[in-house]
Amino acid sequence: MRRRMMRRLLRVCAVCLKEFLGCFQVYVTHKFRAAIGKTKLVRDGEKVLVGISGGPSSCALLHLIQEGLSQRAHKKLRFKPGLIFIDEGQVVGQSLEEHKVTLTRIHSLLRQSGFPYHLCQLADSLDLERVKTLNACQSNHSAVNKINQSAMDINTCSNPVEGDKGDVEISGQDENCCDLIEMNREAEKLFAAQLGSIRSISGKEDFVRALRHRLLLEFARQHGYSKVMLGNTGSQLAVRLLTDISTGRGMQAALETAFADRRNTDMMFLRPLRDFSSKEIAMYNNLHRLECVFIPSLTTMGDVGASIEHLTEAFVTGLQAEYPSTVSNIMRTGEKLDSSSAVDLESHCALCQGPLDTDVGMSSALAALRFSLEISTMGKTNGERCIKGDNSVNNTNDELCSNGVNYDAKVECCGKSDGSCRSSTQLSVPDEGLVLQTLCYGCRIVAMEMDDVNSLPEFVMKDVAWRNRRSVMKAEIQDFLLDDR
Amino acid sequence: MWAERPRGNALCKECFFHAFEEEIHHTIVHAELFKRNETIAIGASGGKDSTVLAYVLKLLNDRHDYGVNLVLLSVDEGITGYRDDSLETVKRNQEQYGLPLKIISYEELYGWTMDAIVKQIGLKNNCTFCGVFRRQALDRGALMLKVDKIATGHNADDIAETVIMNVLRGDIGRLRRCTAITTGTDGALPRCKPFKYTYEKEIVMYAYFKKLDYFSTECIYSPNAYRGFARAYIKDVEKIRPSAIIDIIHSGESLSVKKDIRLPVQGVCERCGYISSNAVCKACVMLEGLNKGLPRLGIGKTHKERRKMQEMLQQETGAADSTPCTDQSLKSSCKCENKTDQSECSSQTYDSDNASGCSTYSKSQKCKDGCSSTNPRTVAKEKLSIFGKLKQPPSIDF
Repeated sequence: MRRRMMRRLLRVCAVCLKEFLGCFQVYVTHKFRAAIGKTKLVRDGEKVLVGISGGPSSCALLHLIQEGLSQRAHKKLRFKPGLIFIDEGQVVGQSLEEHKVTLTRIHSLLRQSGFPYHLCQLADSLDLERVKTLNACQSNHSAVNKINQSAMDINTCSNPVEGDKGDVEISGQDENCCDLIEMNREAEKLFAAQLGSIRSISGKEDFVRALRHRLLLEFARQHGYSKVMLGNTGSQLAVRLLTDISTGRGMQAALETAFADRRNTDMMFLRPLRDFSSKEIAMYNNLHRLECVFIPSLTTMGDVGASIEHLTEAFVTGLQAEYPSTVSNIMRTGEKLDSSSAVDLESHCALCQGPLDTDVGMSSALAALRFSLEISTMGKTNGERCIKGDNSVNNTNDELCSNGVNYDAKVECCGKSDGSCRSSTQLSVPDEGLVLQTLCYGCRIVAMEMDDVNSLPEFVMKDVAWRNRRSVMKAEIQDFLLDDR
Repeated sequence: MWAERPRGNALCKECFFHAFEEEIHHTIVHAELFKRNETIAIGASGGKDSTVLAYVLKLLNDRHDYGVNLVLLSVDEGITGYRDDSLETVKRNQEQYGLPLKIISYEELYGWTMDAIVKQIGLKNNCTFCGVFRRQALDRGALMLKVDKIATGHNADDIAETVIMNVLRGDIGRLRRCTAITTGTDGALPRCKPFKYTYEKEIVMYAYFKKLDYFSTECIYSPNAYRGFARAYIKDVEKIRPSAIIDIIHSGESLSVKKDIRLPVQGVCERCGYISSNAVCKACVMLEGLNKGLPRLGIGKTHKERRKMQEMLQQETGAADSTPCTDQSLKSSCKCENKTDQSECSSQTYDSDNASGCSTYSKSQKCKDGCSSTNPRTVAKEKLSIFGKLKQPPSIDF
């Protein structure tokens, strides 16, 4: 119906382009506001953190928010946005110059918005204690502070180009950007090591996504935001859903693609652009001459098979060209999946915060995999028979044998001569099996791709230790616990 | 010779055999697929999956003493140059493994071979017919054999592919059902998939190393295009991460459907008594379409075809009013009416335009379900009457 209307409009616009553009503007604005309005999740005066990556959809999101908050808007949106940019230049190993250029552009983009904003690095997620201080150093910068202040005061940015621009010197920004990088050298190094140790690009992508989510969450918590808004479009989310399914994250797929992601009880992630296609967003950006910043990703310039996500994207885009209902079909599937599962503290994944999906019976994919590993590492009669072959192909899966259930039993050596499976138990770090137990199926794949499971981020290890203590405590008081019935 | 497994372990041939068989044993035991003294029909097409399935099940039955009786059940779709050849393979397997074999054909059940259907429908959507008919044919064959369960050779790749396809199509009901290892437990005949967690690659490897005799030709009629996309995707993902197939199955298993989503209720077809989500099952609708020269009735956008059908029906009823031949007389003239509940003869009206007296013969020809046929078939049909307990077959409500 709507599409037919659009087409009819397009025919009009051949004669009168302006009319079409006007209609298109109304259409986009309406859809955006309807998405926010009908769910009634965003309350008046609520502080909402808006994730800005610099890409087309987040630029459009920023612009739509600006428009919605401006005085001239018909029904003004009433939340208080704060912007956040997470610098991921390190993931792709950008050179310092390129990095600087990107950051400068992002900085000016955020600054012009007139909203309070924050720049941080993905590596910050490894040191969550620091997240709180991040803001301080950001707003200590006088010019930035000033803008923030002024933006806060008037709580609007009706005119993005108003006076402030002149106040900040370009050199000051650069310095600021570089300061930011300097500050986190340590975390950066740690991050590089962790990322480097994940073997596949698919795993790296998952890892980066988990860290990003965690950082957004922590930042929003620390700075008093109660919602996080993300600019994912429907096209991206369709790819996300399929990728999630292909990487064993079926349980999270619904959360990842829903309008409101409630996996954390205290924080909600909103995706107001989920009803838009990337085409519409591109058109919108074009209409408003919004300049987005190109941020390379791990698979930029890579071939189709670089990663599962990349492949899925190519697959969905290709299918969409032939069957235009593909994306909406996928999204419709996502809508029918249960996304309401609120997760309590002990049953979520320590890395991605999604629900734990590993409590399955013996007749399940997970159990089948476990058994498969067991039997193919044990060999027919003893562990010795097939070890030669095991080494000759690749010994990438050292950790696999200690997966899951048998962590409390003696960890079976997978037959490596380097004793890699036992080394961890000698140190005072948690057992690999224990770590893996706190991870969901999808994150286990990532963790097992790492050289050392114990090099997972600090927040994961803390969570593991906490849960371990809890389970020990529970074991101690077990006798005194009364059954519910 | 070494066999590399999807998670990167390499095994020698003997260990691979052992691991492969024990994994299937593990699946069978933990999913409680078989019970002692049951008769299991193995859906055998002659292809690699079913050949390996027959071989492995026989082997495991002997090794672990499941105490089940195994029989082979094949469906002959009537595809010249494909199925006739693969059935030869099944017959050889029958001898090699010493398992009884039953072949049931579309022609016998529906009165149509796939060759004839393709002539009607062309090469597009023909797989829909074949798929719908085969599903029913297997069940009917199994009922004739009085088995307790059907085991099919669906492997992990097939299931992963189905998960992806159902996501792409937005078919939530099937998405939820397709990862179950045993289906149809509430209906007449449960089906199970012992190869649910077995990679296709390993099945081929096993068949290759064991030098099993199987038939490996693609169906001569073009494969289902949309499924082809999902298949290509699965294969590509597998290249990136070999374990992805099981990961997809895990995803499928852990998907939970919203509570308030209305799922199609599985009922029973009011014509033939087979399980169906609609009042009349797909096979009946398709058969009706074929028999009336509207082969597209069961596929694609139904409303157009329904309208056509209605128009046709109206014309016919108009014609029928004028003919001396009444509904009653037609009914009694149809042999199949009383003997089976399977009747396609509910169509008291549909071909009465040529019912100017000689309707009996033309009608019984059109009763594709074999009512025009000789005794043995009718006997077979009586066995099938488990499916339907209806006395008065209602006509399809379009």
